[in-house]
Amino acid sequence: MTDRRGAVSDARGRSRAGGPGRLLIAVYGVFALAATARAAFQIATKFGEAPLAYLLSAVAAVVYVVATVSLARAGTRAYRVSVVAVTIELVGVVTVGLLSVLDAQAFPHETVWSGFGRGYGFVPLVLPILGLAWLYRTRPGRD
Amino acid sequence: MDPFLLVGTLVCLLSAVLCIGAALLRQPPNDITILSVAAVELFLLAYAVGAVVRQVAGEPVLGEAWEFWGYLLTALVVPVGAFWWAILEKTRWSNFVLAAAGLTVFVMLFRMEQIWDGVAGL
Repeated sequence: MTDRRGAVSDARGRSRAGGPGRLLIAVYGVFALAATARAAFQIATKFGEAPLAYLLSAVAAVVYVVATVSLARAGTRAYRVSVVAVTIELVGVVTVGLLSVLDAQAFPHETVWSGFGRGYGFVPLVLPILGLAWLYRTRPGRD
Repeated sequence: MDPFLLVGTLVCLLSAVLCIGAALLRQPPNDITILSVAAVELFLLAYAVGAVVRQVAGEPVLGEAWEFWGYLLTALVVPVGAFWWAILEKTRWSNFVLAAAGLTVFVMLFRMEQIWDGVAGL
């Protein structure tokens, strides 16, 4: 995200980080911040209570950070990284969402993705769908 | 209702409404939307000062104190980050970015109040 050159210089990068992508990346940034802070807090204070759930929080945080940075950067490599990160995010939120609903006993500890992101207004569920749609619209070689 | 929550809610939501309105009118960020985000940051600074005063004056955080301060420090970064990200591109979408700052700070303020009152933990 700090890579100013990558974020604004080349035309292809601008198309992905520009327009609606601007807002998309901003929301990703907020979730990267929120998920990282939350995972850090959980792991620092009560990791022993539910190592699996809190590791999952950390994984979610990493996915959001990678998605934010790769969406903001120009070039085909960053594009591929975005597709992978956003896909993992979608699979993660759906899997964790389903598991937390079907088997609440096994997932008693909240993560960003619990209940399909219920604690965050379901934004975690909508975000990867919008992300993939945006990546499809701005795919390399389209113009 | 805590006056801080009331004022903060008004400032954040007013900023979000102004920014969304400007975005819908296809305006790039202008003085009004940028100043409204500055007002959100200013509120957070006042909130921080108020929190220190309350803490010292014998009205401590009932939840986890460092979780509260973690939220507050993170919240202080949000308007600054949104401003930086928004001014790099002068389109109406940047006003949506600015609007997201107000909404995010509003949600975080709500959480901070909960932590202060010891209502919920993560």
